[in-house]
Amino acid sequence: MSTMNLIRLELKKIKRTGFLPAFLGGGILAAAVPAVNTAFRPELFAGLSAPPVSILLGANWQMMSMLNVLLIVAGACVLYHIEYADNAMRKMSTLPVRESSLFFGKAAVLILAGVLLLAIEAVSVFGCSIYWFSRAAAPSAGILKSFGFFLLMLIPAALLSLALASACRNLWTSLGIGVVCVFAATMIPAQRFALTLFPFAMPFQMPVNHTGDVIRNYAIAAAAETIVISLSEVIILKVRRIFA
Amino acid sequence: MNIIETQGLTKSYGGFTAVSGINLHIPQGSVYGFLGPNGAGKSTTMKMFLGLTKPTGGSFVIDGMRFPDSRVQILKEIGSLIEAPSFYGNLTGEENLDIIRRILGLPRSSVSEALETVGLTPHRKQLAKKYSLGMKQRLGLAGALIGRPPILILDEPTNGLDPVGIHEIRTLIRSLPQRFACTVLVSSHLLSEIELMADHIGILNHGRLLFEGTPDALKRDATFQGYPTDNLEDTFLALIDADNRQRGGAR
Ligand SMILES: Nc1ncnc2c1ncn2[C@@H]1O[C@H](COP(=O)(O)OP(=O)(O)OP(=O)(O)O)[C@@H](O)[C@H]1O
Ligand SMILES: [Mg+2]
Repeated sequence: MSTMNLIRLELKKIKRTGFLPAFLGGGILAAAVPAVNTAFRPELFAGLSAPPVSILLGANWQMMSMLNVLLIVAGACVLYHIEYADNAMRKMSTLPVRESSLFFGKAAVLILAGVLLLAIEAVSVFGCSIYWFSRAAAPSAGILKSFGFFLLMLIPAALLSLALASACRNLWTSLGIGVVCVFAATMIPAQRFALTLFPFAMPFQMPVNHTGDVIRNYAIAAAAETIVISLSEVIILKVRRIFA
Repeated sequence: MNIIETQGLTKSYGGFTAVSGINLHIPQGSVYGFLGPNGAGKSTTMKMFLGLTKPTGGSFVIDGMRFPDSRVQILKEIGSLIEAPSFYGNLTGEENLDIIRRILGLPRSSVSEALETVGLTPHRKQLAKKYSLGMKQRLGLAGALIGRPPILILDEPTNGLDPVGIHEIRTLIRSLPQRFACTVLVSSHLLSEIELMADHIGILNHGRLLFEGTPDALKRDATFQGYPTDNLEDTFLALIDADNRQRGGAR
């Protein structure tokens, strides 16, 4: 099957699961964070001298990214829960389609949902910076760069949660492990670069806090993790079949 | 010509042998009835044909192909219904079939045809989760038939159906080789049921193949060995009983 068809197939499967409404609602909730936060104390933020995007993200990204990662973890669980709940997976494994193809179809859906989240949030940050920081020119380039970086940082987390969800037949097991991993990730000290490369910790990183070199290293790490997690999943699925 | 052939096919779970060196010959275009009591190894054998579980010994060929090299190719040729119903509970019957249709690359019309064939058309918009057991079984059958595959593997397809449903599905299965030019491997506990559908029979007990051949050959064999033959069900029970006693004696 073509990639497009695989994605369409997975989109058909998530009907009535509340997957898309959850991401839309979650995105709007996360988007409200900078607006509400700034609306309550505009003078505090407007008085700062840093670029508006840095101020807005610095004050709100921790909260916003937390929502993003939790939604990604829950979304991944839903994507596999529908396969396991009524044993649809058994039917799938007797059809001429690779289990790894299904995995990558789901990964594409999850990453697209992540794009949706980030897009809503980017619009909000853009609006806030225009509304409260009118002294600066419209910061669209900075926002695009930041959110491009956020998307890259979200991909390994999405793949890892999906791999976790595919390994656990029980929704609550994968959800529990995922949430624990996310909270563990928030406790990782920012100065320990190696530790912040934990896939669930990367979505919390902000480019405004780092130099170009460090940003590049994060980007490389995210790409590397994406490849490693994908390859591992393909191997795990193969091995699981052998021991079935 | 045999479309499925096994040579000494064996499956062991730890020390327990579920399928023990069986040699099956399933002729193309036949309805092959796979018969045996609970735990005989019918489902296990069928799962091996679908690549759901790996043989621990022996081998088999399906339409000239083998696992795992031709896995996807073999699965393109098989429509299957194995044990417990499997479906997406959050989707309707129709949407469930549409998922299968997309994977098999079939035209849109195949979904309504399959629904019609198994008599699910009035319930097509209902969530599969809310189906009764018999309706789930029909949905599974529709999912097996939808691609008009050359090989059908049906594990107790009449399980959970009412008497009318059983009759319908039996008639359907019997008509399949002519309608779709396919081979059907169908399992059951009841010889009386298999007798009505199958032109070839394989009898399995404790993982071993006790008999393989036509219903007539079974009668001849049974008469020769002094088993009752006025009723084939009695023949089957006598055969299983003799085998169990022999196994008991060997222990
Ligand atoms: N995953 C497994 N692990 C261990 N033993 C198993 C497993 N699957 C099946 N068995 C054993 O293999 C034997 C054959 O099981 P199988 O399901 O093939 O029987 P069957 O002929 O389909 O029976 P039924 O008519 O009840 O469906 C049984 O004794 C069963 O306990
Ligand atoms: Mg069985």
